[in-house]
Amino acid sequence: MRIEESRIGEVLVVKPMDRRIDASSAAAFKALLNDRIQGGQQRIVLNLSEVDFIDSTGLGAIVSSLKRMGEFGDLVISNPRETVMSLFRLTRMNRVFNILPSEEEALASLSKS
Amino acid sequence: MEKTLNNTNAGLTNSILRHLKYSLGKDSAKATKQDYFEPLCMTVRDRLIAGLIETERRYVQEDRKRVYYLSMEFLIGRALGNNLLNLRLYDAFREALAEQGLDLEELREEERDAPLGNGGLGRLAACFLDSMATLGIAGFGYGLHYEYGLFKQEIENGYQKEKPDFWPSRQDPWEIERADEACLVPLYGRIEHGTDRQGLYNPMWLDWQVIVGVPYDMPVVGFGGATVNYLRLYAARASSEFSTEIFNEGDYFRAVEEKIAAETVSKVLYPDDTFAAGRELRLIQEYFLVACAVRDIVRRYLHDHATFDAFPAKTAIQMNDTHPALAVAELMRLFVDEYELPWERAWEITVGTLGYTNHTLLSEALEKWSVTLLEKVLPRHLQIIHEINHRLLAAVLSRWPGDLDRMRRMSIIEEGPEKQVRMAHLAITGSHAVNGVSALHSELIKKVLVPDFHELWPERFSNKTNGITPRRWLLKANPLLAGLITRTIGADWITDLDCLRGLEPYAVDPAFQREFMDVKKKNKELLREVVSSTTGIAIDGDSLFDVQAKRIHEYKRQLLKVLYIIHEYLLMTEDGLTPLIPRTHIFAGKAAPGYWQAKQIIKLINSLGETINNDRRVGDMMKVVFIPDYRVSLAEKIIPAADLSEQISTAGTEASGTGNMKFSLNGALTIGTMDGANIEIMEEVGEENIHIFGLKIAEVEKFKRSGAYSPWDWYHHHDVIRRVLDTFRDDRFCPQEPGLFRWVFDRILNEGDEYFHLPDLINYIEVQGQVDRDYHDQSLWSRKAILNVARMGKFSSDRTIREYGRDIWGVL
Repeated sequence: MRIEESRIGEVLVVKPMDRRIDASSAAAFKALLNDRIQGGQQRIVLNLSEVDFIDSTGLGAIVSSLKRMGEFGDLVISNPRETVMSLFRLTRMNRVFNILPSEEEALASLSKS
Repeated sequence: MEKTLNNTNAGLTNSILRHLKYSLGKDSAKATKQDYFEPLCMTVRDRLIAGLIETERRYVQEDRKRVYYLSMEFLIGRALGNNLLNLRLYDAFREALAEQGLDLEELREEERDAPLGNGGLGRLAACFLDSMATLGIAGFGYGLHYEYGLFKQEIENGYQKEKPDFWPSRQDPWEIERADEACLVPLYGRIEHGTDRQGLYNPMWLDWQVIVGVPYDMPVVGFGGATVNYLRLYAARASSEFSTEIFNEGDYFRAVEEKIAAETVSKVLYPDDTFAAGRELRLIQEYFLVACAVRDIVRRYLHDHATFDAFPAKTAIQMNDTHPALAVAELMRLFVDEYELPWERAWEITVGTLGYTNHTLLSEALEKWSVTLLEKVLPRHLQIIHEINHRLLAAVLSRWPGDLDRMRRMSIIEEGPEKQVRMAHLAITGSHAVNGVSALHSELIKKVLVPDFHELWPERFSNKTNGITPRRWLLKANPLLAGLITRTIGADWITDLDCLRGLEPYAVDPAFQREFMDVKKKNKELLREVVSSTTGIAIDGDSLFDVQAKRIHEYKRQLLKVLYIIHEYLLMTEDGLTPLIPRTHIFAGKAAPGYWQAKQIIKLINSLGETINNDRRVGDMMKVVFIPDYRVSLAEKIIPAADLSEQISTAGTEASGTGNMKFSLNGALTIGTMDGANIEIMEEVGEENIHIFGLKIAEVEKFKRSGAYSPWDWYHHHDVIRRVLDTFRDDRFCPQEPGLFRWVFDRILNEGDEYFHLPDLINYIEVQGQVDRDYHDQSLWSRKAILNVARMGKFSSDRTIREYGRDIWGVL
């Protein structure tokens, strides 16, 4: 799975570059996020602008990353496409995650927290 | 209709030839007659699509309220002839084809039936689509794109053999794939109980699997062509061609298997319109339909509306039986989970949108799904159903404090060793309107099936007596009679069936009677050829065609007619009596593959025919035939040829019936019980023009309550009954296979005769005698038959749809 990472201040922006996060890529995706969290990364923006489908294993990977961050960290999702947003709504994950339309807004939200 | 489509003779010919060459790549110099079938359909389809686009533009412009008819079955039959008649282009095409040396009637025989239904429920849905389009209602059917529709029935050694009927074996000429409007449907998974960012309870539906629903639209044109709606059928596909992970692991076959498993969902129609208990695939099919339909309906609504405030004012969803009853939970899930509406608001919108039509009182046909299965397949929906039930029971308790028994009766969840979800209770609770399909049936719903619900919400309950479309069942099926009627009273009857009343004065006109009977004779001649080609049996076109054509089921009592036939046979062969008139007993119908008794009844009818048809003592005075593979196109040949229509179910078992209406509209007299819509047919045609017999529902109920019915008493007290039943014990119709039909003897005498054959048999025989006498007087018979046709206006599905439109959907 192709993932771009960039650091803006204390925030790590993780941007999957594949169109799908599914059973074939979710494990690698989850391992990368876990690695960064275990490495002490407490603020992450997950930019989903390139993704148009996430299956339930991919969604499970995102949920487990949020849990791993614990109460002191924060994971914000940005730029979801409508197809992905509908999956968040289907699972009610949109009520658990902070989801914002742009990366800038996501960064701003983390800088406030 | 769009101006660019040329409907002149030359225009139609050019279009057909263009499709032959450019759509199919065939050289007209080498083309066979059959090669013209698809180009012909494509030329018709062009005109349907033009109307479809124009109609949709009009609906959007007028922001019309849309009606969505959700049904697991749409028994469409063939579409070509119907489309041509409704477009009013039948003659134009016939002439254009004739100039090419082609016969439209011959080409029509090339079309296969779309067998997407079992019987009455599915055919009703198809008639309703025709009426909605004819009345200009923005009404759409939503169903499943089965690959294997209802099985093809072949008869081998007298037994039904089921053969798969692969429906879209070649591209269906009518359907339009809408891959761009595909939707995702999640299944299985688990609920993770967590909290949201505000700390409130937030159940998350995780670990689901997903299948894709791809819609296919079949245009439905109303008579006159002004409105073209569509039937949207969903096919299940895997979410991606293969699971790449499994594929990458090198397990190609597992990847293929998963793809096949997803596509299995729309693979096959369940061959029974009663309840398929415990069938996980059936539950998934039902949810798949509901999920695809509801997403599509909401998507379309939100295209033109910013909030859900106007949803019930712009959307009506009708559930054809409880099969789509999960729509209650799915709409609530969508509103509450995905659009974050408060529960109360979501509920108000859901109830305001949904209507539920009940089709059965038979307890075995009432759907119940185990809580365990629902939790496995649809965990979030089960949570929602529990919440709906919780609120229902609170309302019951508030109305009837302390009435725990009533709570138990009304609960959506049935307690017991295996908890079950009662789908009818879910459908009633989630709908603003609940209806039965005949006056008697609707009363029984209120008084017997769910009296508690009626007491709680009396305003929700109403009757909508079924109907049939006169375009399919008279104009198309019986062109000779349709022509005679139009020549006599004009063509207004096609869209206003009450106009048939204009025929009444002609019922006593000897010249009209002769013409009428001449039409019947020609139709009988056509059926005689069908019987000969399908069974090899020669029947007498001058005999009375006595027809029972419908699904084979014990409650419909094909067995009662068999008992009568045996009685008549014994009169001829043992008593030496000659009947007043010759009769041909015609049966047709399919038995559910798992229904042993029904399949044995088919064997019995064929064995009876084998004996009787070859008995020289009987000669041409009686024949018994079973025409295989009953389907819409065969019904269109059988019904116009029938003299007598057998509608003989035990009182209180048939919700309505629609075959009864089709036969009567085509000039057959009915012999029937006081059941379903027979009662209303009697009210319309007059008691003197129908042959009613048998127990009334109150008498059946009395027998059941008192337990006083003893089949053995009837056997001992009636020589006629004893003589007939003894033929089963004595292997009269199965000398080569002793014991084959003893089950009938046991079923009736030792197993309680659940459907009361014996108490009705004597009266049935008497009334059949009256039929003989009436038929013997051809002037009398034709008068009665003409009056049947003239008085069938009420049973147009246009009338039924007007009532739904006015009382339930709010569109008229």
